[in-house]
Amino acid sequence: MNKDIKNYACPYCGEKCRSADELKEHVFQAHKGRGLPAPEGSIKLTVNKAEYVIRVAPNWTLYYLIHDKLGLTGTKQFCDQGACGSCTMIVDGKPVLSCMLLAIECGGKVIETVEGIAADGHPLIEAYVNNHAMQCGYCTPGFVVTSKALLDRHPDPTEEEIVEALAGNLCRCSTYPQHPIAVREAAGKMKAAKK
Amino acid sequence: MKEFKHFNAYSIEEAVSLLGRYGERACIIAGGTDLLGKMKDAILPAYPEALVNIKTIPGLSYIKEDGGMLKIGALTVLSEIAHSEVVRSHWPALAQAACRTASPHIRDMGTIAGNLCQDIRCWYYRNQNNRFSCLRKKGGRCYAIKGDNRYHSIFGGSVSGGCLAVHPSDTAPALIALDAKIKTSGRTLDARDFFEVKPVKTTVLKADEIVTEIQVPEPAAGTTSAFLKFALRKSIDFPIVNCAAMITLKGDRVAAARICLNAVSVVPYRAAAAEQVVMGKSLDEAVAEEAGKAAVSEAKPLEHNKYMVAIARTLVKRSILACVGR
Ligand SMILES: Cc1cc2nc3c(=O)[nH]c(=O)nc-3n(C[C@H](O)[C@H](O)[C@H](O)COP(=O)(O)OP(=O)(O)OC[C@H]3O[C@@H](n4cnc5c(N)ncnc54)[C@H](O)[C@@H]3O)c2cc1C
Ligand code: SF4
Repeated sequence: MNKDIKNYACPYCGEKCRSADELKEHVFQAHKGRGLPAPEGSIKLTVNKAEYVIRVAPNWTLYYLIHDKLGLTGTKQFCDQGACGSCTMIVDGKPVLSCMLLAIECGGKVIETVEGIAADGHPLIEAYVNNHAMQCGYCTPGFVVTSKALLDRHPDPTEEEIVEALAGNLCRCSTYPQHPIAVREAAGKMKAAKK
Repeated sequence: MKEFKHFNAYSIEEAVSLLGRYGERACIIAGGTDLLGKMKDAILPAYPEALVNIKTIPGLSYIKEDGGMLKIGALTVLSEIAHSEVVRSHWPALAQAACRTASPHIRDMGTIAGNLCQDIRCWYYRNQNNRFSCLRKKGGRCYAIKGDNRYHSIFGGSVSGGCLAVHPSDTAPALIALDAKIKTSGRTLDARDFFEVKPVKTTVLKADEIVTEIQVPEPAAGTTSAFLKFALRKSIDFPIVNCAAMITLKGDRVAAARICLNAVSVVPYRAAAAEQVVMGKSLDEAVAEEAGKAAVSEAKPLEHNKYMVAIARTLVKRSILACVGR
């Protein structure tokens, strides 16, 4: 890559130019109106209210960045194929699969993980413990994060809405019946706290 | 994942120019829910050298009605389509298809264009590290013909008669039944002409062509549509068979019908014979049943997938009845 830059490679698209003037002309033609490019692979993102500026490789997933590099190990990866919901994080308000998102595409995003939800003292954590909505516990962070995103959108969801929202989370211990109970309990506590 | 270069494109022209430079060695990434799975498992003989991220192109995510026509930007995620009041009321088959795709998380990430351009799910093709170098990868043979073909085509194959992998999209049959058009960076195609069976390809798109918009015409007066899906699980599961129908009634007679099955053939399968059965008739259980039978009259099931014929027949029948509220 560095070698390319010496050859007047375009910092936006890598197009090779023969001279600085040619490069200038190319950038003006092909990418006009764009700000200066960030140093290669560097992104700024907010994780649990803390801001990070960090260099990432193109082949890092968001999960790898947050779990392995930032050391927030609460999020668990299971299938690594987008099929189980275990690695769910909230990105810009939506519960999404962090194994299916490239870290390099998360510049400017606001991310919430299960650690952030716990640090805020969210009633979901206690409700999950009280109702023992887990057995081995590996999938639990994914469920809690998905439920938190649901409560942000719908502070008082029906059982049906909860089941629908959690339809992307798998639990091999089959704790499914406990989740709507826990989420309803947390919703009830949030409502009581507001009054 | 192996290493690759990553480019954020900020306009359609920029993406096209990047793709033009890399040719077959680059891939577009939208939601990434299909592409990253393929790259993690390194299923293909060649690994992409570069990814061109199109999520950074502004103004490609929208649902709007324009003179009766529905226009959906290529980057619109499936959950937005599923929840859109406009789509649900005028083009219910599309809303229902989006709503039944994958899981809530994937519907929040996966785009409509990615859903149409997604790759096949044949388990030989998708096996890790290109373990089965089959016809669809320019290899010598199809492993499904003599192997386990319970989820393969019931209407024969292609790539010179070989590949039997079904097209897995849920939204594709809905868009074909609704007579949609697909606008790309270079042309506008009928949805029914969009799919093609070639080695490592599922669409007619050129290497530097990008889907930009989906256009669905205004339904004629008296038109209703419906989508049904049969899968093994209610959620996070590909269709075993799905079916979309659009029916226009004049009085109580059928004046127009478009019925499309998917996951039963190498490309979405227009059930023309079923359409002919219902034309001019008033719809009841018996007519719908007959249409279902006609839809699978040309089925050539393989050793392990005869059950799919019965499901296809039933889904055609039920989707026709669903159009008239039964
Ligand atoms: C667990 C799981 C379950 C699933 N279940 C279903 C299901 O039930 N039904 C179903 O239909 N699908 C299913 N999918 C498949 C698919 O991932 C999603 O449907 C999704 O819509 C794909 O969109 P994307 O934006 O993530 O695509 P990407 O992965 O970003 O792209 C998919 C392909 O399309 C190309 N592409 C993307 N956008 C464009 C564009 N604008 N122009 C040209 N080419 C483009 C890419 O290059 C890539 O080859 C499932 C996937 C997973 C992982
Ligand atoms: S069905 Fe197609 S993709 Fe599957 S093994 Fe045969 S040739 Fe390959």
